[in-house]
Amino acid sequence: MKKTLILTLVLLVMAMTGMTHAASTRQQLTAESTIERVMQKGVLRVGMDTFQPWAMKDKNGRLIGFEIDVATRLAKDLGVKVEFVPTAWSGIIPALLTGKFDVIIGGMGITPERSLKVNFTIPYDYSGMSIVAHRQKAAGFTQLADFNKQEVQIAVKLGTTAAAVAKKYLPKATLRMFDNETQLYQELRNGQVHAVVENAPRPAFEAADYKDTLFMPFTDTFTKEPIAFALPKGDPDTLACFNSWITLVQLEGWLQERHNYWFGTKDWASQVQ
Amino acid sequence: MPRLHRQLGRLDWFVLAGLIGAAVFLLYRMFFNLNYNWNWGIIPTYLVRYDDEGQRWVANALLEGLVTTIRLSVWGMLLALVLGVVLGVMRVAARLAPRLISRIYVEFIRNTPALVLVFLFYYFVNDRLLAHFEVDALIRHSPPAVRRVLALAAGDLTLISPFISGAMTIGLFQAAYIAEIVRAGIQSIPAGQWEASRALGLPRFLVLRLVILPQAIRVMLPPLAGEFVNTIKYSSIASIISIQELTFQGMQVMASTQATIEVWITITAMYLVLCLGLSLAVHRLEQKYRQTLH
Repeated sequence: MKKTLILTLVLLVMAMTGMTHAASTRQQLTAESTIERVMQKGVLRVGMDTFQPWAMKDKNGRLIGFEIDVATRLAKDLGVKVEFVPTAWSGIIPALLTGKFDVIIGGMGITPERSLKVNFTIPYDYSGMSIVAHRQKAAGFTQLADFNKQEVQIAVKLGTTAAAVAKKYLPKATLRMFDNETQLYQELRNGQVHAVVENAPRPAFEAADYKDTLFMPFTDTFTKEPIAFALPKGDPDTLACFNSWITLVQLEGWLQERHNYWFGTKDWASQVQ
Repeated sequence: MPRLHRQLGRLDWFVLAGLIGAAVFLLYRMFFNLNYNWNWGIIPTYLVRYDDEGQRWVANALLEGLVTTIRLSVWGMLLALVLGVVLGVMRVAARLAPRLISRIYVEFIRNTPALVLVFLFYYFVNDRLLAHFEVDALIRHSPPAVRRVLALAAGDLTLISPFISGAMTIGLFQAAYIAEIVRAGIQSIPAGQWEASRALGLPRFLVLRLVILPQAIRVMLPPLAGEFVNTIKYSSIASIISIQELTFQGMQVMASTQATIEVWITITAMYLVLCLGLSLAVHRLEQKYRQTLH
């Protein structure tokens, strides 16, 4: 009787210490999460890159764009201020992982390679690739397969999903990678490359601006990519918080309305140009 | 030395005509044959804009970028001077250890491309140092007067962490080049000065401080001023780590407006005016010192 009593007491004590240990691990995880830090500092730092029309600098020196709207709304709903940290795209993931900002809200597409380095939320937008080509060099090309030849040169932006998509759908074509989006279109206009592959709607804008030299072989996008926020690994709380917010604004219809404004119309063009 | 002609002769006119012809041809190709919709009207509004709230003209992206470039160069140069003088003196030390350390540092920096070093410093070295000192939190909780002074010295306080990283990177990079200038300056002082000072019983440190360095500084000033102009040019590499200096602001404006060539030309002109102005000042400085030496 005494032995069982002592045994039960010992087991109870062990169980309780086990539970408190588990509870303290959970508290530690919560205390160290990004969202906790954001709420304490009162500032959400967002990393992005300028890319029409996701994020642009308008004539008043302010940042405008679809991503800016999303990040501003997120910060407002959380009750904190928002700070934008414009970062070059090729270094944006290392910048996130070394803590230069809290989250990437910059039109980042979900890919398996990226998901090994960062955690993605659920998608809040969908993007597709489209292609704009040079009238003389790519004369007569009407479909994607026409571009899949060795002498065809395609310009893509370094480190983007456009580069990966071009490699996948046009394996035989020669890819020219550039760090900056403006370089892509200058090469195309100069007739140095046959076409540029990039997220819609940018190629369509370019084709409209330079109707005599450029054209769109086909108007549909040929991929459908999910766009999500990117967070550093090991942070379940922030991921859950942002996922809930995305679900909410999606069901509200707000995301679709903003998407139609920035991608479907060009009403914002007077603010930049 | 041959006599310097002060007027243009026939041969000069031929060469000049050829060069001007080539330049006109290039400009013609650029303005008329390049398939590009020119939009020069967009540039003034990105230089200065009228702020409706404050009812005054304020600097816009490109001028702000210029100011950041100047701030970055000044702070980088200050750090580089301090570190460079220390390293330069180490290079001419009597003991082997300081000579070894400084030689390794200088040879490593001078034989690696600037771009690669900027990445290394920014992502791996500075990040650890700044996180350790919690600079961000310190600044957020400092009093308004301190913040005003800091804002004047270093620009937008929300982006001060990358700014400090950038300034440190430029400082560490230029320190190697300044170390070599300091070393050359010290070694240009004749050995007689050293011998006479030692004969007077001065220890090595005081020889340097009282006799050698004051003379060496006169020799070092023109190349040091030249290094300041180089620092301004190297600061454009800092755009790769997303510091809001002139090149980075220019790229953002280009991505927003698609006015690529206009913005590149404007930025080139701004760098040219800044660096040429400084180079001319350096030239005046050199002339002044040449007069005093003779």
